[in-house]
Parts: sequence; structure tokens; C-alpha cells
Amino acid sequence: MIAHAFFFYFFSFIAVVSAIMVTVSKNTVHSVFFLILDFISISSLFIMIGAEFLGMIMLIVYVGAVAVLFLFVVMMLNVAKQKNTWFKSSTNSAHIPIGLLVSIIIFFEVIIVIGGWKYKPELSNKIVVSDITNTHSIGNVLYTDYIHLFQLSGMVLLVAMIGAIVLTFRKREGIRRQSYFKQLSRERNDGVSLVNVKSHQGVKIDD
Amino acid sequence: MIEIGIGHYLTLGAIIFLIGIVGIFLNRKNVIVILMSIELILLAVNINLVSFSIYMNDISGQIFTLFILTVAAAEAAIGLAIIVVFYRNSGTIRVEEIEKLKG
Amino acid sequence: MEYFILFLPLTAAILSGFFSKLIGEKFCNYITCLFTTISAILSIIIFYNVIINGYENNLLIAKWINSGSLQVNWSIKIDTLSAVMLVVVNSISSLVHIYSIGYMSHDPHKPRFMAYLSLFTFAMLTLVTSDNFLQLFFGWEGVGLCSYFLIGFWFKKNSANSAAIKAFLVNRVGDFGFALGIFLIFYLFGTVNYDEVFQKISLFINDELNFLGIKVNSIDLICILLFIGAMGKSAQFFLHTWLPDAMEGPTPVSALIHAATMVTAGVFLVVRCSPIYEYSEFALSIVTIIGMTTAIFAGSVALVQDDIKKIIAYSTCSQLGYMFFATGVGAYNVAMFHLFTHAFFKALLFLGAGSVIHAFHEEQNINNMGGVKDKLPVTYALMLIGTLALTGFPLLSGFFSKDAIIEFAYLKNSLLGYYAASIGIFTALLTSIYSWRLIFKTFHGDYNNHSIKIEKIHESPMVMTIPLIILAIGSIFAGYFFKDLFIGFEKSYQFWNSSIFFLEPLSIEHPPKWFIFLTPTLVTVSIPIAYYFFVKRKDLLPVIVDNNRPFYNFLKNKWYFDEIYEFLFVKSLKKIGLYFWKKIDGLVIDRFGPDGISSIIKILSNKAVKFQSGYIYQYAFIMLVGFSALLTYLIIK
Repeated sequence: MIAHAFFFYFFSFIAVVSAIMVTVSKNTVHSVFFLILDFISISSLFIMIGAEFLGMIMLIVYVGAVAVLFLFVVMMLNVAKQKNTWFKSSTNSAHIPIGLLVSIIIFFEVIIVIGGWKYKPELSNKIVVSDITNTHSIGNVLYTDYIHLFQLSGMVLLVAMIGAIVLTFRKREGIRRQSYFKQLSRERNDGVSLVNVKSHQGVKIDD
Repeated sequence: MIEIGIGHYLTLGAIIFLIGIVGIFLNRKNVIVILMSIELILLAVNINLVSFSIYMNDISGQIFTLFILTVAAAEAAIGLAIIVVFYRNSGTIRVEEIEKLKG
Repeated sequence: MEYFILFLPLTAAILSGFFSKLIGEKFCNYITCLFTTISAILSIIIFYNVIINGYENNLLIAKWINSGSLQVNWSIKIDTLSAVMLVVVNSISSLVHIYSIGYMSHDPHKPRFMAYLSLFTFAMLTLVTSDNFLQLFFGWEGVGLCSYFLIGFWFKKNSANSAAIKAFLVNRVGDFGFALGIFLIFYLFGTVNYDEVFQKISLFINDELNFLGIKVNSIDLICILLFIGAMGKSAQFFLHTWLPDAMEGPTPVSALIHAATMVTAGVFLVVRCSPIYEYSEFALSIVTIIGMTTAIFAGSVALVQDDIKKIIAYSTCSQLGYMFFATGVGAYNVAMFHLFTHAFFKALLFLGAGSVIHAFHEEQNINNMGGVKDKLPVTYALMLIGTLALTGFPLLSGFFSKDAIIEFAYLKNSLLGYYAASIGIFTALLTSIYSWRLIFKTFHGDYNNHSIKIEKIHESPMVMTIPLIILAIGSIFAGYFFKDLFIGFEKSYQFWNSSIFFLEPLSIEHPPKWFIFLTPTLVTVSIPIAYYFFVKRKDLLPVIVDNNRPFYNFLKNKWYFDEIYEFLFVKSLKKIGLYFWKKIDGLVIDRFGPDGISSIIKILSNKAVKFQSGYIYQYAFIMLVGFSALLTYLIIK
């Protein structure tokens, strides 16, 4: 139990601190790194609690794909170092303390809500260790009961991919491309024409 | 305090959620931080779901987390694509300089 | 048929006023003249009906007010009095319309002028054919309004604008008294319809009420208040100041409004309310005093005026004084008869003067005219006829009516009556002198104009002279033909029937012979006297003037009335009006009303605009604040 508590506090502390650093860092690249650290610590937490499949997947997908994507874009957009204009900002300087105040209020309210919950009877504070692995149990359900959602999430990813390409697509001027349609639909009249060439005069080719 | 119950996990989720929300409007830097804060929010929801799933011995929480993961990835991709195009068009992604909706 | 009389001029006015661009100027002219002429012919037919058959009618146009005990309708009441007025108003109006086609031919705004003339006719007809005080008041205000329009017709001239405002304001003072009178009638009798009021008068003879702290007999009070209205409209002694300035308007306007119709509305009012006036000796004496004071005042001032139209205007004022003091001595029918004949010759004089002014290219000062009787023969002849009629030369129409007034005043056998009669005779002498002065200075003597050559003076076109001829015929013959009907001893009672009320019948005696011949003799003798002074020995005049310089100035400045009023009323009222406008209206009402609201809206919307800053994180923040508020509310609930 102590190990559980110790590891829990350890990982959660890292998670909270890095979450704060994500918003506070001066350098955007540092923000991305802290986000990665956050993901890693939460993954560790998941592995500790017994949802190891999910933890691994989070590492692979979140850290390996999403965070790297963030890093790509940050590097590409060449975001310069921002000055730390926290409390000395000229625009809406009263705005930050109020914002903090409001968020603290919300936090306390959420805690109140959570504290007043009545849990289901079968909820125990004990973690049940079962025989099958986490992966096995997820696989039991995913392809049977939740097959539709599974397929749908595949479609979501497909749409996201197409969307990303469509958004950033840029037609470049002056680049010649093949158009199969044009090639295949060429008629003899457009392609070939017989010309009577006079000597020393050449042929004019329309381009 | 020593006995870690579900409440602790839920509190952790709440804190990260709040930090994500705060990050949306308290950042003075650029728009990418907003996207990162959104990821933090989704992460907090994930923590919530997974902790409930473990403590209630019901696997569907983790299934749902899987889907949230998928959607988060898709949304991050699209969001970044939009940012790239926006940067192409207006030359900046600093928060203070984006005021095209000004009325 | 009666509806046509009333609504044809209105239709003409609307067509000519609003649609002149659509239908063209010429057509506007024709329409207005045609419609008013048809009205005139119809009213002559009705008058004929009234004379022969004693026709009387009260046609309802529409119900107006039906509120509790107050029942007022728009109606056309035809009885003798209104039939006479219909003939006068419509015929003079149609002749003036025709005359204006010629007189205003150079004016670019002819349709507007004709529309105003027709509108005025309509208002006057409404006044005359009403069967209750409220419609009378409507017509009263309507003619005042049209008078404002017409006097200020050439609105680009400052003096015309001021004159129009002056006319309207002075009229307003009279109207205030008139309105009070109507309120009092309603308060006492509970109704404003003529028939009902007149029936109940005898019940209220001794009724008294408290007016501004004084106990007065209510019938006296009503009569005096109504007379104040008449004073304003008919330019009697204290409220006369607008009439000479009203000559700023075009001459046809003066002929129509200030000779024949609007100014006679006051006389019409008093005669119409004869049932009320007969019961109030006090009010009748007031009317007589004011009437004769006006007569002599106007006569004396007209002696020294230089503007041709102003002389004739003062002459009108004076003749109205005659009419009023005829009513004051109880001879209502004589007053109406004088109104009838006066309309003809006064309109003739005005239109003739217009002809002269037209010939002299808008010159109005008689000192700059003279010696054109051969150049303007028709105008000269017609003006002569008008002057003879005005002065009461024997056998022309003015003779019958004016002398009848003086006779009846004498026959009253009271001190007031004798006094009134003597003033009447003296004023007749004055009238004669200034009328002949006008003729001699304008048409005889040397040619005094320095800007126009005498060869250039030419007669007016036919369209202007034909109405003059018709009016001249009326001036000559109207008196003789209608005198039995209007003021004959037996016939007139039957003629007037119930429209005029006599408490006791008028005396049928005759004054002594020397009295009857006094006035015509004076009038005839004054012609050579005037000729001597104004043509033969013109050099005597400046000597007389110098010897009596203060008196001359007194007359020339119209008894200093304008200056007195300016000092008493105008300065202080102007200051008060300015204060109210600038301070209260501008700073208080506008500030809390429109200006205030609009600036508040501006301030608020400027503040609201800041919400939409364009920064998305601010929008998100506001969303968060709203969410937390909702959460707090739900938790606390």
C-alpha cells in the first residue's frame, strides 16, 4: 500500500508540475517537452494502476505521434522566444488574477461535487487483480460489443487525415503535372493536325 | 492519505483539467499552447475514466478512453493543420496579434 | 348641391397644391377658377332659393364628436345669413381667382397661390356654413392659417414673413378670447350647437359668475369674449396692427381676404350670435364704442398714408368699424347689408389698385404716381365707381348701407347712439377725403414717377379687367336692388327669418330730414374740396403739414400703436420665448429626452463593443466565468 501511495504521489506531483510548466514556459519548445513529460508520467500512473495496455497505447500514440507532431509544427513555424509578460502585461492586467480566482473557485466546486458523491456499493477502494491481462480483457470487449464504435473511430481518423491534407494543400504555380484524364480523353483532332509546310518557313506551334 | 482511493485519482484529474482550462486564456504566447492545453484537458478526462474503470471493475471505461485517445489525436492533427494554414495567411500565431474577429 | 359648394374649392386646392407638377400650371389655373366659379353659381342659386322660397336646411357631412353631453357634427347649415355670406365669399373668391391668373402671370409659384386661395375659400365656407361653434372655430383657424400662407406668399422677403407672423399672432390673441368664449358657452349651456344654445339663452340672463375675481354677468362675459375674437379677426381697434402690414401679400390676397371675406368673419360671428348679444346691453355698447373708435382711427390714419394698398386697408378697417357699430346699436341686418355692398366695392378698389401697381411695375407709393388717367382709362373709370360707392355717393350701393347705419344709430335715442352717429358722419367725411386723395394723387396731376417713362404705362389685360367690371356692376346696383330685401321694414324680417334675432323690432321712424341729407351733402361737397387741395393747390399741403407736425406724425405713425405694443408686449414676450427655447427646451427637455437617450445609447454601445475584442482567449474566459456562475448557482440551490 505504501508503495502504491508513494508512487501515486510521485507521479501525480510530476504530472501537475509539468502541466503547470506547459502553460508557463517562456519557450514553446519547452512547453512541448513538458507536455511529453506529462504524458509519460500519466502513462506510468496507468501502468501502476493496472491499465497497462492503455498506458502503453498512450505512450505510443500521444507521445510518439501527437507530441512529435506538435514539435514538428513548433519547429516549422519558428516561434520566437516570447517575453515573459505575465503580470506586467499592458492589456488586461487585471484579467489574470481574476482568471486565477475564477479557476480556483471552479476547482473547489468540482471538489465539492466529487466529495458529495455517493458511490455504488460494489465500488471498493481495493484494486482487484484479475487473472486475464488488461490487453486480453480489452480485446474481449472491443471487437464484439464495441465493434461499431471501433469502425467509427477508424473513419474519424481517415477523415482527419484527409482533412489535414485538404487544409494545407497548396497549388503551386508553374509546375506541370500529368492529368490522366486529359491524357486519356485526347482526341485525334486535338492532337494531330496536317500542315502544308512551305520551304524555309517553318511551322507555328500553339502552346 | 496513505490509503489511495478513487477520490485521489479524481482530484488529480480535476487539477489537471483546471490547469488545462486556465492555460487556454492565461497564455500570452501563441496558439499552439492552446492546443496543448486542450490535450491536457483530454488527458484529465482519461485519468478520470481509467480510475473509475479500475475501481469499479468495469472495462468499458478503458474502452472509452481508447476512443478518446483516437479522437484526441485526430483533433490535434487537424488543429495543427489549421494553425499552419493560418500562419501561412496571416504571418503570425501570437495571441495578441490575432484579432480578426474584432467588432 | 350644398356639398359641391363646400368641397369643390377643397378639391381644387388639393389638386393644385399637391399635383401641380403632374397636371401642369395652366390646368391648375383653369381648375381652381372653374371650381370656384361653379361654387359661386351654385351659391347664387341657393341664395335665390332662399329669397323666393325661404329655403332652409341643415345637412350633415359627418359626425365629429360624440362624447358624453358634447355632440358636435360637421354640417352645412343654410339659412339666410349663411346664404348671404356664401354669395359674398364665393363670388368675390371666383373673381379674385380669375384676376390672379393675370396678376400673378409672372410668378413661378402660381399653382401654390391658387391652391392657397381655394383652400382659404374652403375654410371660409366651413366657417360660414357651420351649425355649431366648434366648426366655426375650425373655419376661423383655417382662414387665419391661409391668411398666414397668403400674406407670406413671397416668403423670401423678410418683411413678408414678419407680416405673416404678426397677422397670425395678433389673430391668436383674438382667438384666445374666442376660445374662452366657446368654453364658457359649453360650461353654461352644456352644448355648442347654435340652436340649442340660442334656445337656452333667455334662461341665463341673470346668471353671474366669478371671472378672475370679479363678479360678472355670464351673458355679458360670453359676448365680450366672443367679441375679442371678432376684434382680432376683423382688425378692430386694439388688435388692428396686423392689417396694414398684411399688405405685404399680393394684391389679390388683399382683395379676397382683407376686403371681403376674412375680416368680415368677425361681423358674421356677432350677427350669428345676435340671440346672445341682444340680451347683453353692456356688450353691445362695448361693441359700438370699439366699432366707432376703429372707424375714426382708421379714417384719420388713412389721410396721411403713402402706400396705395395701405390706404385701402385702413379704409377697410374703418368700414368694419361701421359694421360693428351697426351691430352694436342692434341693427344686425344693416350691418350685413353693409358687409354685402362693402365686399363689392372694396374688392373693386383693391383689384383696381392692383391694376395700377401692375401698370407701374410694382410701385406702390402714390407720391410716385400721378397723371395717368388717360393712359389707364378703364382702371380709372372703375376706381372712380369704387370710390363713389365707398364714400356713399347718393344712389350707389355704399350710400344705402352706410347711411342706414348712421340713421339707425341716431334712432337709438341714447347718448351712445347720438355720439356714434356723429362719429359716423365725421368718419364718412374722412372717408371721402382720403378716397378722393387716393384717386387724385394716382390719376390726376403731374406724372411723378422717375423710373418708368409715361409711354410705358399700359392698361391691364382683359383677364384682369373683366372681374373689375363685374365688381363695378355689383357696386353700382347691389345697393339699390337689395336694400328692400335686406333692410326694408317689413320684407327684411321675413327675409332674415330666424337667422338674426331681434329682441325688439327696429324702429320704423325716420330721423329728421336735415339729418338724412347731412351725410350725402358732406360727401358730395368734399369732392371739390379734395380736388382743390390735392390737384389745384398742392402747395398748400406742406404748409399745413409743417404747422401741425406733431399731429401729422401722430397720424402717420398710426397713433404710435406699433411702438406701444412693441414696448409693452413684444420685447418681453420675445425674451421669455427665447429663454424657454434655449434654456428649457434645449437644455432640459432635449437633454433628458432625445439627446440624452441617444448619447446614453452611444456610451453604452461603445462599452459593449469592447466585449468583442477579437481575442479568442477572452471569449473563452467569459465562457468560463459564465460556467462557474452557473455551477455556483446549481450548487447553492
